[in-house]
Amino acid sequence: MTAALSTGHAPAARAAAGSGGPSSVELLRLAASGGRSDRLRISLTAAASALATVVLLAGAAVAFISEGDGPYGPDVLDQPGLRPGVMIAMLMLCVPILVFVGLCTRVGAPARDRRLAMFRMAGATPAETTRIAAYETGLAAFIGSALGTAIFFVGRTLLDSTKPGEFTTELSDGARSVTEGLVRSLPTDASIPVLAVLALILLISGGSVAMSTIALRKVRISPFGVTRNTTAKPLRKTSALMFLGGTVGLMVLGLAAQTAQGMILPVALGAFVLFVLAVVGLLTGSAAISSAVGHRLAPRVGRPDLLIAARRMIAAPYAASRATASVLLAVMIGAAIQGVRANFLAGADSTDTFYADTFRLLDMVLIVAIVLSAANMLVTSAEAIVERRRTLAALQASGTPRPVLARAIMMETLVPLVPSVLLAGTSGMLAARAFFGSSVERNVFIETDGAQQFAVVGVPVPWERLAVLCGATIAISIAITAVSLVLLGRSTRVAEMRAAV
Amino acid sequence: MNDLIPSPSVRATEGRSTHAVLSARSVVYSYAQAPALKGISMELHRGEILAITGPSGSGKSTLMLCLAGILAPDAGDVTYDGRQISAESEAQRSRLRRTEFGVLFQFGQLVPELTAVENVALPLLLAGRKRRAAVTAATNWLDRFGVADLALSRPPEMSGGQGQRVAAARAMVTEPAVLFADEPTGALDALSGEQVMTQMVRVAREAGTSVVVITHDAKVAAYGDREIIVCDGMLESSRS
Repeated sequence: MTAALSTGHAPAARAAAGSGGPSSVELLRLAASGGRSDRLRISLTAAASALATVVLLAGAAVAFISEGDGPYGPDVLDQPGLRPGVMIAMLMLCVPILVFVGLCTRVGAPARDRRLAMFRMAGATPAETTRIAAYETGLAAFIGSALGTAIFFVGRTLLDSTKPGEFTTELSDGARSVTEGLVRSLPTDASIPVLAVLALILLISGGSVAMSTIALRKVRISPFGVTRNTTAKPLRKTSALMFLGGTVGLMVLGLAAQTAQGMILPVALGAFVLFVLAVVGLLTGSAAISSAVGHRLAPRVGRPDLLIAARRMIAAPYAASRATASVLLAVMIGAAIQGVRANFLAGADSTDTFYADTFRLLDMVLIVAIVLSAANMLVTSAEAIVERRRTLAALQASGTPRPVLARAIMMETLVPLVPSVLLAGTSGMLAARAFFGSSVERNVFIETDGAQQFAVVGVPVPWERLAVLCGATIAISIAITAVSLVLLGRSTRVAEMRAAV
Repeated sequence: MNDLIPSPSVRATEGRSTHAVLSARSVVYSYAQAPALKGISMELHRGEILAITGPSGSGKSTLMLCLAGILAPDAGDVTYDGRQISAESEAQRSRLRRTEFGVLFQFGQLVPELTAVENVALPLLLAGRKRRAAVTAATNWLDRFGVADLALSRPPEMSGGQGQRVAAARAMVTEPAVLFADEPTGALDALSGEQVMTQMVRVAREAGTSVVVITHDAKVAAYGDREIIVCDGMLESSRS
């Protein structure tokens, strides 16, 4: 110590600097030390995590309804056989929200990555920069998730009430009887185990950290700046094989399941695996479509907006695919729901509104899921504009009209979306028809003797509903992408040309 | 170390008209509350190469942005060929930049996804030229800047100097009356900077294009026929 003092402070400082790196608290402090875009990212991540937690807890509440709970006014909650449908609907709603959480972790990330590069210049190791990003995301998601839990339980207490109403009970012979009494509108009396709540909070926080870390794998942060690893060429054949394999597999499994009895678990597992295969094929295939369309257009087009869009589709085929992933998923599930709906309604008595009401609820969930999915596109499009702001600003400065740039951005997102939406809709509908059949038995009364008999009726393909689903999704996507263009004005200002690399 | 000292042929000033193609009169511009230009007046003659120099933050780039119609001055006039562009709308000024002006920045102006030839052809496509004709013209301009072999390369595959020559070809492809170059060698090494300046000045002289070069580098300023020095938002001196 004496020696160190006698020769100045440098050796002591060096010794301190070399003693094992910064503490977790220090890394957390660095994680929270960003600017406006960093605060926006942290706030959005927390808000999206809170929303995901509320929806997942609502789904869990339905899952944990026990014998003594209820009765409930809505049949979908009161009938144990219908509850899986509600849980599936809540899970479906969660998919775009979880994708939104993932996207929020990348809002303003280019600026954050440049800040991390400065930390690298100051001596931070690559692992430490990754930890800073992970701490930031994990902390935001944890706080958001905890907040969501609090909101859920406070809301549950406030909404817990009974009112006079009717509830349906199923009799031993399978018939249904309607009873009057006090009912709840929501499962506010179902208790969710503390362990499940904790697991959910950890799942969302851990998932966010994992997504953030995976996203950083594509980025190389060196003391001299940030470089992005070029994305590999989309695998056209593999994507096509996965999509076709998944869809055809679902059809074959569906047809086989119609005759197989008591094989619910293997069929459900097989359907899940094939569904995932088809979805992965669709999403990577969407990138392949983007690249193929780009390759076809770029050498031929004379319109500058189309040329810029086509070249962007080739250079970043996964950009549009990432933006539209949850939209495509929602369309695929939505098309399957429409197929199942057509089947149930074809077999039901026209005076019985039970199934129609149930599917109306699913339609509402579907609309919310598509709007949320489209909101994900907003984040991705806005991010893409901010990332390219210097090039866009320079183009604008050298006389490129802003509408040309706006059209180019619209096209690069929407051109690959249209065929992908059609493929998603077709796949979902084919799977639904394979599982539920294209004909159904229906109770009919024979006019002459008044006897009740079964008749086999065909299930019509719900073309109108499919057209509305696909058309509305594309229209919402156009509108959302157009909203993101508001940023174009700000991003093409002269000052942006001087922004840091 | 005479990297950027121009050759006599590049420095030639004969044939230059004394008619002002572009002029600024008492131009004032402020960023929020910070004044950048405090009433500058100047002229650019047809075929002239004008270097605008000055220390960092002196307002030289802001002056160029006002002259090019990218920024509209808070007060004062900018006139191009008898037309008061400072009073025109953003759309009119954009059209003017597309047809009459070429702009070259320090970096970042090439679209990274487009090939070199497509980058250069872009202003022609914007002007409504057919693709084939635009690509032919673009290839010709790449050749004039000595980078025709990079026609199918993309900006990330090029060196800084190569990218800047492609950018210069794009700025010149519409055969503009005025070329604005903001620190065109600022991000380049001495040799690449010399290549860019030599070719840019030679091509501009051949085409009869007036050039405004913004620089704080005396060697780059030496390529100009005339130099004006901007300091603290005002014209400090002018020398030929």
